[in-house]
Amino acid sequence: MTGEVFAAIDVGSYEMALKIFELSQKKGVRELDHVRHRMDLGTETYATGRISSFHVEEMIRILKDFRNIMEGYGVTHYQAYGTSAMRETRDIVVVQDLIEQSTGIHIDILSNSEQRFLDYKSIALKQDQFEEIIRRPTAIVDIGGGSIQISLFEKDALVATQNLTTGVLRIHTTMEEVHATKLKYRDLVSELVNSQLSVFSKIHLKDRKIENIIIIDDYVSPIIQKQRMGTDREGYATRQEFLKFLEKASVTSAIEVAKKLNIPEDNVPMLYVSGTVIKCFLDETKADNLWAPGITLCDGIAYEYAEKKNFISSPHDFEQDIIACAQNISKRFMGSKSRRETLQKIALTVFDSTADLHGLTQRDRLLLQIATILHDCGKYISLVYLGDCSYNIIMSTEIIGLSHREREIVANVVRFNHEEFEYYTANSKFFEGFTREDYLRVAKLTAILRIANGLDRTHKQKFKDVTVTVKDRELEIFVDTNADITLEKGLFGNRASFFEEVFGIRPVIRQKRII
Amino acid sequence: MGKTKDKKNNNSINFEDSSLYINRELSWLSFNERVLSEAEDEKNPLFERLKFLAITASNLDEFFMVRVASLKDMINAGYKKLDIAGMTATEQLDAVLIAVHDFVDKQYEIYNKYLMPLLVDKGLRISDVSELTKKEGEYVDRYFDEFVFPVLTPMAVDSSRPFPLIRNKTLNIGALLKKKEGKDGVDFATVQVPDVLPRILEIPATDSDTGLRKIVLLEQIIERNLSKLFMNYDIITSAPYRAGRNADLSIDEDEAEDLLKEIEKQLKLRQWGQAIRLEVSEDMDKKLLKLISEDLGVEDNEIYRIDGPLDLTFLMKVYKLDDFEHLKEHSYKPPQPVVAFSGDKDIFEVIREGDVLMHHPYETFENVVKFVEKAAVDPDVLAIKQTLYRVSGNSPIIAALAKAADNGKQVTVLVELKARFDEENNIVWAKMLEKAGCHVIYGLVGLKTHCKITLVVRREEDGIKRYVHLATGNYNDSTAKQYTDVGLFTCAPAFGEDATAVFNMLSGYSEPLGWNKLSLAPLWLKDRILDLIKREEEHAKAGEPARIIAKMNSICHKEVIAELYRASSMGVKIDLIVRGICCLKAGIPGVSENITVRSIVGNFLEHSRIFYFENGTSPEFYASSADWMPRNLERRVEILFPVENEKLRNKLWHILDTELKDNEKAHIMNPDGRFVKEKISSDGFEESINSQKIFGEEAASAAKVMTTQNTRVFVPEKHV
Repeated sequence: MTGEVFAAIDVGSYEMALKIFELSQKKGVRELDHVRHRMDLGTETYATGRISSFHVEEMIRILKDFRNIMEGYGVTHYQAYGTSAMRETRDIVVVQDLIEQSTGIHIDILSNSEQRFLDYKSIALKQDQFEEIIRRPTAIVDIGGGSIQISLFEKDALVATQNLTTGVLRIHTTMEEVHATKLKYRDLVSELVNSQLSVFSKIHLKDRKIENIIIIDDYVSPIIQKQRMGTDREGYATRQEFLKFLEKASVTSAIEVAKKLNIPEDNVPMLYVSGTVIKCFLDETKADNLWAPGITLCDGIAYEYAEKKNFISSPHDFEQDIIACAQNISKRFMGSKSRRETLQKIALTVFDSTADLHGLTQRDRLLLQIATILHDCGKYISLVYLGDCSYNIIMSTEIIGLSHREREIVANVVRFNHEEFEYYTANSKFFEGFTREDYLRVAKLTAILRIANGLDRTHKQKFKDVTVTVKDRELEIFVDTNADITLEKGLFGNRASFFEEVFGIRPVIRQKRII
Repeated sequence: MGKTKDKKNNNSINFEDSSLYINRELSWLSFNERVLSEAEDEKNPLFERLKFLAITASNLDEFFMVRVASLKDMINAGYKKLDIAGMTATEQLDAVLIAVHDFVDKQYEIYNKYLMPLLVDKGLRISDVSELTKKEGEYVDRYFDEFVFPVLTPMAVDSSRPFPLIRNKTLNIGALLKKKEGKDGVDFATVQVPDVLPRILEIPATDSDTGLRKIVLLEQIIERNLSKLFMNYDIITSAPYRAGRNADLSIDEDEAEDLLKEIEKQLKLRQWGQAIRLEVSEDMDKKLLKLISEDLGVEDNEIYRIDGPLDLTFLMKVYKLDDFEHLKEHSYKPPQPVVAFSGDKDIFEVIREGDVLMHHPYETFENVVKFVEKAAVDPDVLAIKQTLYRVSGNSPIIAALAKAADNGKQVTVLVELKARFDEENNIVWAKMLEKAGCHVIYGLVGLKTHCKITLVVRREEDGIKRYVHLATGNYNDSTAKQYTDVGLFTCAPAFGEDATAVFNMLSGYSEPLGWNKLSLAPLWLKDRILDLIKREEEHAKAGEPARIIAKMNSICHKEVIAELYRASSMGVKIDLIVRGICCLKAGIPGVSENITVRSIVGNFLEHSRIFYFENGTSPEFYASSADWMPRNLERRVEILFPVENEKLRNKLWHILDTELKDNEKAHIMNPDGRFVKEKISSDGFEESINSQKIFGEEAASAAKVMTTQNTRVFVPEKHV
């Protein structure tokens, strides 16, 4: 058999899911099996920060079952991810180890931005529909158990993404805590959601017109998918159709709704919550159309793996989305567009020309690019504590597509671009939890960023063109300019020393005059 | 209730009015009467008639243990709800007991008046011990001393020894005794006729023989030697009796920590349920009868005074006696090879080339066994999943599954422990499979898993492929020779996905977001059937072709029947082929005048469920594991699957069409709910049609053509 059988496991806040896929260049990603088990992990971990032994045992039992199913398909590779419920568990390392010892399955924890990025990637599996819909202003509303992620598209590109800490399960728990009656239920949910949504709206929406909403959730999506809202296109509903459906559902008893829609009765309250959240977005954005692609995190996991193994390739440039997102953050913190472009150009030229020296990957190149884009975001707060402020802004702002560790790398690179580099020690507060490789990555990227930053010390973008060659233990940086670069040359020494320390060669500036 | 003939305006008719329905217990008794009519039918060979009589007896035992017991439970619990026909539990029980008394009288009339004389004519007598010669008497006494006496446990009742518990369905001999010496007073004693010994004993031929073979019944041998059991007593009177008890299992699954243990416990209880029937020899002494009936707590209408041997199931043993082959049915063909699987091709290759539909027992069940056996050893097979409801003793399927697990395949087997009266068997298999390394699951709490489905996952050149077998009958190679069923092999991806989802669901995982082809009970199947009927209704209203042909074992779901009435009143032509219970009344003007009901009781037990919906001009065919009964549609996991291949649809059409033309084994329902046997006109022009025989012959001729085609003949060249 050509290709591979791959398993994706999602330990979610309300459900554990396993999907088995067949991956091949010929057929792409083909789903073979989808197994779901209801387990309300979120209610417990959100409230206590722990997973009880009862739930750990249950997880072990299910994962053992999953393992059997995987063996039944001859699965060769798998990826298991835990999301918000596991992420919010304090003793997660212990739980991870316990599970791995008992089942042989290792669960990695996804940061929110990684999780949303996978969700987002999996939408792109439905390539034609996706490309068609994002041509118009579109928002992705990804409703999870613990939080909601909103991402905005403009002209084919992702321009903003924001996490709201009001997931379906959290809202449902809150409603139970306040003993919300059926009569007040919808108003209270709306109030809760709108309190966060209005802030989002002020920062990101402003005058933006949103026409389409892409829905990712576990409750409303299947209904739209099954065309139970009177729509004639699978997975689509108009604003009117959806609102009519929600109105009907809210005046019908849970038993009746479950019966009519062929869903478990337990799911009905979540359906109300998810539906109300969507209504809030429709009200806020005035969007006309809903599209529920019916994808799950498992699809995203498989998509990512298939892409990595070259079984599939996507025409959509996801890296460009990450970059666009970073640019948008920079814009929000008054970063200079021309300066970040100059820095990017120089830094990436240096990176590409020193590939043999640094041994870094294309992913690291992306991190460098993000670092150049965000290199001065802290300026918005303070010119004095630029390094610290930049670090804190980056660490507090989600960059979709980056893992928590990658974000930390970017934040440190930006910090040490402005401050003295902190060398690695076991107790270093800067590199807590970092591996040796992560630390070296920070050092190398910092060295490159510093060089780039040094070449534009005066922020005047004096160089039209920059080329770099490595020659006789020197990194020769040729700059085309007629401007006076005395300051750049004079202050370059400091930065060059750090570069030499890291890479073992000394950077020098060679000026070429433009005639 | 207002009825109208205006088919476009049937709003005024209450199709749920109880007068439009037949009580299910009486309908079941009517089915047993149809079986009994086969015992009466002179056209059947004598030994087949004995077999049919034995079947009616065994059926009646089960009916009492489950249905009558259930009615008694309802009465005891003060259950007030009326049944489908508007009867209270008490009314039902009264009607049932009257009908059963008549039925039993009829059974023994057939036994004594017709079958016994014919049997003697054919050289076999079921002799009374009193009729034996001295030599024969000595032979049975010796048999008693050597084989019977050691296994008997006589029990006397007096003030210090209470009345013993009489086990369900066991045959016993009750006696009144008097001490030979000493005080006055009469004692009661009872002894169970041991079920470890054969019920019948054949007397060896003697010199004075006239060629007549004689058999005697074990209870008579014991009775004749009763004094040997109670040495110090005089036997005043003795007679056989038999108690039937409540055996309906009602397991509280929510409380049962371990279902397996709970069923084992219930099995033990079954022997001691409340007595609901007492069969006694007609000549039993009144005092003896009073003593037994009072102790068992049975009412007078629960006592059956039998004019002949109790428990006619012993006739199955008579059926198996050697040298009477000429008195048995041989015109039915044995199971034939399936044409699709005739070549050298691998079973998976054949299925890859196209779906295969098999009609058992006319076509052999062997291929289903081979399918599992092949999967067990095929290196490319990764996993096998199967549901098992009732399996045969020494089941080759079980052996193959165990072998598969041994070969490192992922084997998941759903063993339905709650299959009534097969629980003990199922526990044994479940334990054996677990030991072999199979993953054994026991289904869903509160629901019996009745669907019949097998899934084989195979790794092939172009990826993972799933092979599915769906059937209307159990994976039981033994009953597959007696039951008519259909089974479908397919590897269509849509079926594969659904089959996977079925097993995921049975393993306790969430239901899939949608089904491709299958409809499952208890969540979706009933609505699907109602929708299919309603669709015909719409077609009829629009003046388009509208017809339903539905073949099943039983129909008693009120909602479904009401929908059929509604469809009929709209002009949908409905033909039902229902072997057993049918609570629907056919031919009621304005309600069911477009509905016909026929029941085929033949050599094989009609068991397949096949449904045809004309759907305007795009007919649809389905097969299913489910009858249209509340238990199937609401309390069981069942599957309805479509048959889409044109050739296979033609095959299903042929089955339905031929059964609708059957005029030899078909009983037709009259508007009063009674069945009458289809009569062939005596003018000689009408052809006699026995559908079961036709199917057998067709399968045989197809197999013959196939053999001829497969025979390689080398033709020698002629010398010129």
